[in-house]
Amino acid sequence: MRNEKTIFLCEDSVDGIFTGVYDAWDSRLGHGNVKLALKGRANYEMFASYREVETDGEKAEKVARTLRRRLGPEDYAHIYQAALSKEEERADSIYRVAVAGLAGGRSGSIMQNLQNPAVCRIFELSRTTGNEAHRYYQFLRFRELAGGVLFSEIKPENDVLPLIGDHFADRFPGEDFMVYDRTHRLFLIHEAFKQWVLVVGEEPDWEKIGKISDRETQFASLWRGFCRSVAIQERRNVRLQQQFLPLKFRAYMTEMNGGA
Amino acid sequence: MKIQESMSISEKLNILSDAAKYDVACTSSGVDRKGDGKHMGNCLAKGICHSFSADGRCISLLKILFTNECVFDCKYCINRRSNDVPRASFTPEEVCTLTMEFYRRNYIEGLFLSSGILHNPAYTMELLYQTLYQLRTKYHFQGYIHVKAIPGAPQELIDRTGLLADRMSINLELPTAEGLKKLAPHKSRRTILGPMRQIQNRMEENRQELMVYRQAPRFVPAGQSTQMIIGATPENDFEILSVAESLYRKFQLKRVFYSAFIQVNEDSALPALPGGPPLLREHRLYQADWLLRFYGFEASELLSEARPNFNVFLDPKCDWALSHLEQFPVEVTRADYRTLLRVPGVGVKSAQRIVKARRYGALGFGDLKKMGVVLKRAMYFITCGGKQMYPVKLEEDYILRNLLSVKERLPFDLEHYHQLNLFDDCGVMR
Ligand code: SF4
Repeated sequence: MRNEKTIFLCEDSVDGIFTGVYDAWDSRLGHGNVKLALKGRANYEMFASYREVETDGEKAEKVARTLRRRLGPEDYAHIYQAALSKEEERADSIYRVAVAGLAGGRSGSIMQNLQNPAVCRIFELSRTTGNEAHRYYQFLRFRELAGGVLFSEIKPENDVLPLIGDHFADRFPGEDFMVYDRTHRLFLIHEAFKQWVLVVGEEPDWEKIGKISDRETQFASLWRGFCRSVAIQERRNVRLQQQFLPLKFRAYMTEMNGGA
Repeated sequence: MKIQESMSISEKLNILSDAAKYDVACTSSGVDRKGDGKHMGNCLAKGICHSFSADGRCISLLKILFTNECVFDCKYCINRRSNDVPRASFTPEEVCTLTMEFYRRNYIEGLFLSSGILHNPAYTMELLYQTLYQLRTKYHFQGYIHVKAIPGAPQELIDRTGLLADRMSINLELPTAEGLKKLAPHKSRRTILGPMRQIQNRMEENRQELMVYRQAPRFVPAGQSTQMIIGATPENDFEILSVAESLYRKFQLKRVFYSAFIQVNEDSALPALPGGPPLLREHRLYQADWLLRFYGFEASELLSEARPNFNVFLDPKCDWALSHLEQFPVEVTRADYRTLLRVPGVGVKSAQRIVKARRYGALGFGDLKKMGVVLKRAMYFITCGGKQMYPVKLEEDYILRNLLSVKERLPFDLEHYHQLNLFDDCGVMR
């Protein structure tokens, strides 16, 4: 039977999803007959056959390149950001947007076609992930370890490290710094004057991270003092503060934690 | 005047950040500057807020006074000469260290350096210049710097300082010359507007220089801003907004900030504000300011001599729309961008999205919602494909009643906002 759905199960990663796009397209089963889902997260569907997608860096790169070239860097950025989102349905939505975007006879940016439900979904996911990345531009805090390395820890919902690496590397070219993403167990590592890299599957060296530099305590406490003294009592408004600075970010923020 | 001889940096920071907090500007916006690959810092045009203090205000910059040892006696100011408060002064070195170390930890986007008048304006401006000079040339800081131009400082010093800063500001302080005379006897319209004009002219020259020679040093690339205190003197909203409008037009300011008056000094020249600072009024002025800058409104469309104050119960755009019902409903599938912007519930982003998306096909109310249109406000004023969302009447009282029943999201609790009754006699409720 030809019209039963074939579900391509991809790995929960950008490369996994992009490989899925490649395989589903390449299968020639017809766009209407295929669906992308994530391994271990998809709901089981009856009357469907499943195919495992084996993540393949080359296929993923081909898809990325094609999308970037044909849809333009801005639209591609949306798709890429959506691919970093935590939502399961992003895989299939990305496929649908790729199909709509690469269809012949179309002009202009596909991401502006918000009436298309998949485009709209990708737009939302991209915005959510992008917003979260921006939160870390704002709220990520470094502390200086003994030896001078800057260390930071975050716990994002979406996979934001790939989105913040350029920003911090551009800002601190001469610093050795490290950001640890607790959720995805991922390290962003930047050595002074080098390209930043992501490291998967390493546990942080907690002992080393526990040792802060001599000056660190002083600057952290100067900063806490500053944040306290700039507040105007007559305008006190913790509700507004909470709206802009949600509690979930505070655990890792220097000024929101007591201490010296 | 108490001057502590050997004070720790922590004590100084305490005093001089506390003394700087009444300046409301803390944005780090207006300039895009990539890192140079060697030194610390870059800038993003939209700015970054790094934290929020307990009053809900953004902390983006290390906002400090260089010194609060001030020879002026502005009546509204905690640092005025006649007050008995602890005094302190930084050294340029200390300011640089704090900026660099805070920036490195991603606490801040940069420095906001203001100052009381130590000895005289020229002396003070020279100190600010020295600090910026060190920060830029010795520490090679590439992040954001906002610096105050000191009223009465020599032109040449302001010019030099502006080449090191991203933004400069000189506070108008009070909306009118009379107000200034009454509350800031050492300042005058001349010593404030003079440097403001000069910075504007210098920026214009710099634009020319940059066209000829792209590597020319940039003069305050993020432009200049100013601040007015609201409620310390009797000006009405129309006067205040008209002043802001002419500052935008004639001085090309990037931002005008409004600061609800906070009573820090007992002084017979100051009004008593038992309800606390006029926060709601300040909020309405900010909303109206947005309408001037991004929505193509003019002050005289929003207010008039006959109706000089904002309706505290309704945001200025809804208020305007209600008194211009003849311009509605707007058909969203056809109306031009400017017209869309005037619809309550439609923002700059959603208007842009609508204009782009409708090229691809029909729009429905569901699409509008996804594009960020606030339908519970917009629905009275639009049709989409010739249809209304619900059968509503285009009638002032009816819409007003409905709009008022939708709770407006204000940045503070209205229940605790006693200021309201102050405006009861403004006759804004019809
Ligand atoms: S010049 Fe006026 S406003 Fe500025 S610190 Fe001195 S007294 Fe305060």
